[in-house]
Amino acid sequence: MAKTVIYLDVNGVRHEVHCEPRKLLSDVLREDCRLTGTHVGCEHGVCGACTVLINDRPARACLAYAVQMDEARIMTIEAVAQDGRLSPLQQALHECHGLQCGFCTPGIVMTFEAYLRENPSPSEAEVREALSGNLCRCTGYQNIVRAILLAAERLRAETADV
Amino acid sequence: MSEPTYRYLNKAAPRTEDYRLLTGHGRYLDDIEIPGALHVCFVRSPHAHARIVSIDTQGAAQMPGIVTVVTGRELAQWTNPMRVAPPVEGLLPVEFATLPVDVARFQGDPVACVVATDRYLAEDAAEQVTVEFEPLPAVTDMWQSLDPNAVQVDPAVPGNLVSHQTYSHGDPESVNRHAFRIVEAIFHQQRQTHVPIETRGCAAVWDAGRDHLTFHIGTQVPHPLRTQLAQRLKLSESQVSVISPDVGGSFGQKIALYREELTVAALAGYLKRPVRWREDRLENLTAAASSREDFCRSRAAVDEHGTLLALDLELREDFGAYCFFPANYLARVVAMILSGPYRLQDYSFDVKVVLSHKCGNAPMRAPMSITSWVMDGTMDAIARELKLDPVEVRRRNLLSPEELPYRTATGEWLADITPSETFEAVVAAFDYRAFRERQQAAWQAGRYLGLGLCNVVEPTTYGSRFYKAAGIPGSGHEASWIRIEPSGAVNASVGLGPSGQGYESAMANAVAEGLGVHPSSVRIHMGHTDVAPYGMGSRGARSGTAGGGALYLCALDARRKVLAIAAGWPDIPDAESLRLIDARIERLNGNEWIDTGLTLVDVARRAYLDPTALPQGLAPGLEFHLTYDPPPMTYSNSAHGCEVEVDVSTGAIRIARYVIAEDCGTLLNPTVVEGQQHGAVAMGLSGALFEHMRYDETGQNVTGSLADYLIATSTELPNLEIIPLHTPSRATAAGIKGMAEGGVMGALGALTNAVNDALAPFGVVADRHPLTPMLLRDLLRDKL
Repeated sequence: MAKTVIYLDVNGVRHEVHCEPRKLLSDVLREDCRLTGTHVGCEHGVCGACTVLINDRPARACLAYAVQMDEARIMTIEAVAQDGRLSPLQQALHECHGLQCGFCTPGIVMTFEAYLRENPSPSEAEVREALSGNLCRCTGYQNIVRAILLAAERLRAETADV
Repeated sequence: MSEPTYRYLNKAAPRTEDYRLLTGHGRYLDDIEIPGALHVCFVRSPHAHARIVSIDTQGAAQMPGIVTVVTGRELAQWTNPMRVAPPVEGLLPVEFATLPVDVARFQGDPVACVVATDRYLAEDAAEQVTVEFEPLPAVTDMWQSLDPNAVQVDPAVPGNLVSHQTYSHGDPESVNRHAFRIVEAIFHQQRQTHVPIETRGCAAVWDAGRDHLTFHIGTQVPHPLRTQLAQRLKLSESQVSVISPDVGGSFGQKIALYREELTVAALAGYLKRPVRWREDRLENLTAAASSREDFCRSRAAVDEHGTLLALDLELREDFGAYCFFPANYLARVVAMILSGPYRLQDYSFDVKVVLSHKCGNAPMRAPMSITSWVMDGTMDAIARELKLDPVEVRRRNLLSPEELPYRTATGEWLADITPSETFEAVVAAFDYRAFRERQQAAWQAGRYLGLGLCNVVEPTTYGSRFYKAAGIPGSGHEASWIRIEPSGAVNASVGLGPSGQGYESAMANAVAEGLGVHPSSVRIHMGHTDVAPYGMGSRGARSGTAGGGALYLCALDARRKVLAIAAGWPDIPDAESLRLIDARIERLNGNEWIDTGLTLVDVARRAYLDPTALPQGLAPGLEFHLTYDPPPMTYSNSAHGCEVEVDVSTGAIRIARYVIAEDCGTLLNPTVVEGQQHGAVAMGLSGALFEHMRYDETGQNVTGSLADYLIATSTELPNLEIIPLHTPSRATAAGIKGMAEGGVMGALGALTNAVNDALAPFGVVADRHPLTPMLLRDLLRDKL
């Protein structure tokens, strides 16, 4: 099948990718951009493990063809920690034991890096509602929810300090 | 008993493995780049049962990027068949080929394998492989399987009855004759599957120069898998290395060597090129492994006060089409531990395991999950029938502290467990009397609350003596090594296969505690068979006791030698008056420990760089190896309490509160233990509420996506309140007991008992899972 040339801005780096039109964004990120932090759990848009930010909004990378993303700005899990420092959300997940096998974790981090910008003061019920698009088989979600609420609190305090 | 004080055990600490997993730098199977690797796609049977008339691979083989297409015929030349035939009474031996040649036995059974330069091309070509099937009648229900006229799933298994075991202890029949009442209860647990978020997959690299296979695979049991892989491939165990990277969950699904994996390994050897496979979710749901699907009927002989006098268990399990494990193994454990924390000597069981035309079974987190639901559901049935209080019925039958240790009717030895303490802790947490008042008041207002209780005795660690007694060849030991490097850095390894349970952190604590260094200076290496010692891997809840125990004991050996070397310095007393603490050597001065100025680094340097200075009789280096065989069985115990509200007009269940009191002895890391408690309860609740691997009457799996096979999301699961107890085991290293499956067991019972408590005013009982709104509405129809 003929390949198409597209340009992706992934984590601030411009990638020229030659791929078949049918190639999924998740596969292009993993194989062509060699960013394997975006995990593929179901390839049908239910589990949320492959969530990335496309032009700042969370989306399932397994439900998009890479060719649809020509010139799009994409952020993956690899760009969340800065200079080796975990983001407040990542740090809270660590402290609250909000991950076990870690396979679903990148999708959850990407979902809530965006969510907490939109809703900095969520209730527990709102966090649970937003988290329901990400399946986790290890944790029972309790410590993930606790971590997100803790991160929200710390982010609010940071903003108030500025 | 006096409890030793630990410096690192029993102390909560965040995990060290988190950083890489949080930043996208975990290394799961599919993240491993293998230049030039070919990709496979399996062609699967669309029929539940069909004769394979012919397979035409010509069209597919000529498509772009296709390297080869193979079938069961080629695989049969390259590999040995799978034979499961332990000498267990009542169990029939079975054998099956790597890929079926003549007959497909379930929808999803792999019949051919396409190898291509890319996964997309492999999938394209798989569609062009033409298989002529002659569909045959299928059995898709365990009762159908047991019918004398049923179609046979396996020619070696007449009547589809692959295992039949019976047992009797005491004299249940005579007790039954004199009992006040025989209370009968039934329990149907539906077919489920593990759903690790990372599906199966593997990558095989054949080194033609060394005649050596490197097999990358997420597995719970690296060494046993290697042994099996070598045997099936007709290779020596020195020709195979298994490397298990980060694993995205397993829950029992990643123990067996599956046929797809063996096919990939064989292809790498045949093609002399690297070959890899990543399972998609449809395959994982329909063709990896299923679990559970049990029917239990309990008949309890009781007196008028609800005292349990005798019990009979009838258990039926549907094992699917292929036995990747001895078919009796899961059901037998249910029957063996059924009585849990309850007093029972007159006991009998009849356990039948059948084959059907469905995906084969594997143990799933708490393979004996139904046990506590059956036992505590029986307690509730006794209370209902005799109009007694369910708490009082349990109190009457629970083993008291004075009766422990206790030899059960099946010969199990229950020691160092605290069932009445955990039970009373949960009852108190709910303020039981006040709950009953609230429940009454709610009824008046047309709201239906329920409280469910469930006591759990969880078998965690199976020692070699257990296997011997069960007639199963195998071992329950675990192996470890520790190497203190010339710099004083500590490397250690154990034969476990982690899949998310935080072993790197927990096992570092075991080494740190035994040796006397800070956990941060210990690096645990697992999952690489060239590195790790031959241990039995991770299954059940054995890793803490067997793996943690092996490392702790090995670390004690290491500490002894370190102190013996230190004692060789001038002005340093005997090793008995020395201790190692955070890598510093201290001496006893009166009643006080004082620093000697010596550190582990000094000792390590001498051991490696100046060994002639070592005290006489001490060999150079600081390397230690140990194997540890835990007791025949260790048990931890817990009590679960769940409060629900049932909306009787819709059948919806809301979990209002969930409390667990759990006693699992010494904890390697309480943070990790809490995570396991959460995860186990979550899996239990998810199973009881939603999960259902469904087949239609023709054997078509109708739950092939995560939109059809439902697992619980964050909106359906409650926050858990945990009351910890820590009674160490006196029979294990460091008093570790193990845990991680009991939560599933307790959740099934507590939730279901709560729902039935809520439904009590209508005189109906939910006796099957999942507890869907449809099921509850069916029960309530015409009752409202």
